[in-house]
Amino acid sequence: MKKLFLTAALLSSASMAHATCAPDYSGVTLTISTQNGPFIASPLQTAAESWEAKTCGKVDLVEFPFSELYPKFLTAMSQKTGDFDVIGFIPAWLPDFSTFLSSMPTEMQSGPAWEDIHPVYRERLMSWGGEVKSATMDGDMHMLNYRADLFEDADNMAAFKEKYGYDLAAPVTWDQYYDIAEFFTASDAVDYGTAEAYRRGGQQFWYFFSHAASYTNHPDQPGSMFFDPETMDAQINNAGWLKALEDYKRGLDFNPPGALNNGSGDVRPLYAGGSLAMNIDWADSGVMGATEGTIKGNVRTAVLPGSNKIWNSKTNQWDMFDDVVASPFLAFGGWQLAVPADSKNSEAAWSFVQEVTSPEVSGQAIVTGNTGVNPYRFSHYENLENWSSIFTPEEAASYLGAQRASLDAPNVALDLRLPGFFSYTEILEIELSKALSGQVEPQVALDAIAAEWDKLTDDFGRENQLAAYRASMGLPALN
Amino acid sequence: MTRDTLSKHAFMWPAFLIVLIVTLFPLIYALTVSFQTVRIVPPMPPEYVGLRNYAEILESGRFWNAIGVTATIVFISVMFQYVIGYALALTLHHNVPGASLYRVAFLLPMFMAPVCVALIARMLFHPVLGPVNEFFTLFGLANIPFLTNPTLAISVLIVIEIWQWTPFVVLLMLAGLQGLPNEVFEAARVDNISTWRRFRDITFPMLLPLSIAVIFIRLIEGFKVIDTIFVLTGGGPGTSTETLTLFAYNEGFKKFNIGMASALSFLFLIVVILFGTVYLAAAQRLTRRYQ
Repeated sequence: MKKLFLTAALLSSASMAHATCAPDYSGVTLTISTQNGPFIASPLQTAAESWEAKTCGKVDLVEFPFSELYPKFLTAMSQKTGDFDVIGFIPAWLPDFSTFLSSMPTEMQSGPAWEDIHPVYRERLMSWGGEVKSATMDGDMHMLNYRADLFEDADNMAAFKEKYGYDLAAPVTWDQYYDIAEFFTASDAVDYGTAEAYRRGGQQFWYFFSHAASYTNHPDQPGSMFFDPETMDAQINNAGWLKALEDYKRGLDFNPPGALNNGSGDVRPLYAGGSLAMNIDWADSGVMGATEGTIKGNVRTAVLPGSNKIWNSKTNQWDMFDDVVASPFLAFGGWQLAVPADSKNSEAAWSFVQEVTSPEVSGQAIVTGNTGVNPYRFSHYENLENWSSIFTPEEAASYLGAQRASLDAPNVALDLRLPGFFSYTEILEIELSKALSGQVEPQVALDAIAAEWDKLTDDFGRENQLAAYRASMGLPALN
Repeated sequence: MTRDTLSKHAFMWPAFLIVLIVTLFPLIYALTVSFQTVRIVPPMPPEYVGLRNYAEILESGRFWNAIGVTATIVFISVMFQYVIGYALALTLHHNVPGASLYRVAFLLPMFMAPVCVALIARMLFHPVLGPVNEFFTLFGLANIPFLTNPTLAISVLIVIEIWQWTPFVVLLMLAGLQGLPNEVFEAARVDNISTWRRFRDITFPMLLPLSIAVIFIRLIEGFKVIDTIFVLTGGGPGTSTETLTLFAYNEGFKKFNIGMASALSFLFLIVVILFGTVYLAAAQRLTRRYQ
C-alpha cells in the first residue's frame, strides 16, 4: 500500500512537472540565428527566456555580422545541414530562401494575433509563391526625423520664412527637404542639416530607393518602379531615377563631413546626439533620440517627402500632379523569422516564432531601447499608453502617426524582392558609390546598372524573373 | 611481387590515396565546375559552357581592375615591408638600448587578427573623429576622405599591410642575421671596412637567399589579402579597392555564382603561378650574380 502511494505521488509530481511545460519541448534545443546584437538579437534573447520558461525547451542564439547572414543561411539551407531551426533575415531574401523554408502552420494563420498584423506585412511581405513562409518580427520603413525645438523656434521660423518664402515645417517635397537642410547647415542652431547613409555595404541603396520612390513609383502604373512589369526591362536609368540620384548626391552638401563613409548605424547617433536638424532613417532614430540622446522630448517623425511630378515610364515623360504625391518607401521591410525546411525541430521552432511575434512579447520589444524592433501590429500603433515609458505624448503621436500613415499611404512603394537579390544590388552599390564619389557621372552609373540588371535578368531567365517581380509587387500573373 | 615490394605498396598507397582525395579531388572538382554555369541563387541546373566563364572574366573590366588593385597593394606594401623590416632587424641585431622591449613591441601587430586591425584602422582614419584627421587638421587639412577617395583608400590599405606585416620580415631577417658567422664581420672590422660596405658586400649577399624567400612568402600571402579590405572599404568606393580574392568571394558567396567563382579561382591560381615562376627565375639570376 505504501509503495502504491509512493508511486502515485511520484507519478503525480512527474505529471505536475510536465504540466508547467505547455507545450512541452523538454529536451529540445533550438538553434536561432540572426545578426549581431543588440539590434534584433536582444529581443530574440528576451523571447527565448520566456519561451524556455513556458516550454522547458532550450534556445541557443547564434549571431553573425549582417553581411555574413545571407551566405551563411543560404549555404546551410541549400546543403541541408540542419544548422538552424529559426533564422532572422530580411524580406528581400525571401525569394532566394523560399525553396528551403517550411510554410507557417495553418493554425498560426488565423485568430486575433494574426489579424492584428498590418496587412502590408501579413499579406505582402510574409508570403512568397502563395504560401506564408515567414513571420514579421519588426516593421520597417524609411521615415523623416526632425527636431521640434529647432523647427518650432521663433527665430528659426522667421529666418527661414524670410529666406525661402514659406513656413518652416516638416518637408513634404524633396525640394523643401533640401531647403531646410541648407538652412540649418548654414545656421548656428545646429551643426548640419541632415544625414543619410552613403556607404557601400552600409544600407546605402535603400536610401537611394527612398528618393527614387517619389519620382518613379507612378500611381497609375503599379509595379513600374524598378522594372517594366510587362517586359522586365530595367527602369533604373530613366529620368526619374536620374533625378533621384542627383538629389541624393546633392544631400552630401548638407551632411557631416565624411558622409560617404556613413552607414545607417552612423546616421542614428548623429541625430540622437543633437548634431542634426533632420535625418532619414528607419524608426530606430526616433527611439534612440527619445531614450539615449540629447534631444529627448523633441523627437518628431514625418512621412518621407514626396513629389508632384512622377516619371511615366510608358510615355517617357514627367506627369504633373495637382497635389504632392507621398510615396513612402517600405525600405528593408523589417526583420522576419522563418523555419528552414531541414530543421529537425520544426514544431518547436514555429512555437518559438509565435512567442517572439506575440502581441505581448513584441509589444514590450518595441518600447525597449536597442531592440531594433519597430511597430508592425495594429495594437502597436493603437496602444499609446505602452509608449509613455519612452516618448512624450507629442513624440508618440508623431512617431506612430508617421509610421501608420506611411503604411496606409495609397502610393506606398514596396521594396525590391527578386530572386538573385544580391546580384542586382551588388552592381547597384558599386555604380552608386562610383557616382557618389564623382568617379562617373550619375547617368553613366545608372546606364551601367540598367545594362547589368538586364543581363542578370536574361541569365536568370526573364520569364521566371518577371513572374517573381509581378508577384512581389502584388500584380497578377501574365497570361 | 616479393614480400618486400608488397609491404612497400601497402604503406605507400593509402597515403597516396589520401593525398589524392584531400588535395587533388577538390581541385579537379573546382576545375570541372569552372566549365559549367552553376548557380545556387536563383537555383539553376548546371550546364556545360566550355570556356565561356573564363572568356567572360577575361573580357570583364572588373577582373583587370582587381588584378591592378591586388598588384598595387602587394608590390608596394611588400617593398616597404622588406626595406623597413630589414632596417629594423639590423637595428635590433646591433643591440640598441631597450632592444628586447622593441623586439616584442615590433612583433605585436603581426599577432593581431586582420579583422581587428581593420576595425582599429577604421576608427583611426575616420574622416571626422579619427586621430589621423586630428593630426592633419593641425596643418589645415581637415576631413580628408581617407576611405572614400579611391587613391587614399588604396594608400590606407597599403599602410595597414605594411604596419601589420613588417614584423614578419623583422622576425625572419633578425633570425638570419643572428645566424651569420661572426668571424667574417670581425675580419672586416680589422680591415677597417666601412659599415655600408660591410652591409653591401657581406650581410646583403649572405642573406640574399633568405630575403628572396621572405619576399616570396609575403608576396604570395599578399595576393590572398581579403579580410582587411572586406572590413575597411568593402572593395569601394566602386571597385577601386577590390582585390581578386574579394571579387571571387563576392561571386561565390554573395551571388552564389559557383561556376564563375571557380573559373575566377583558377585564373587567380594561374596568375600566382605565373608570377611565382617569373619571380623565382629572376631571383635565381640575382643569386648567381652574387655567387
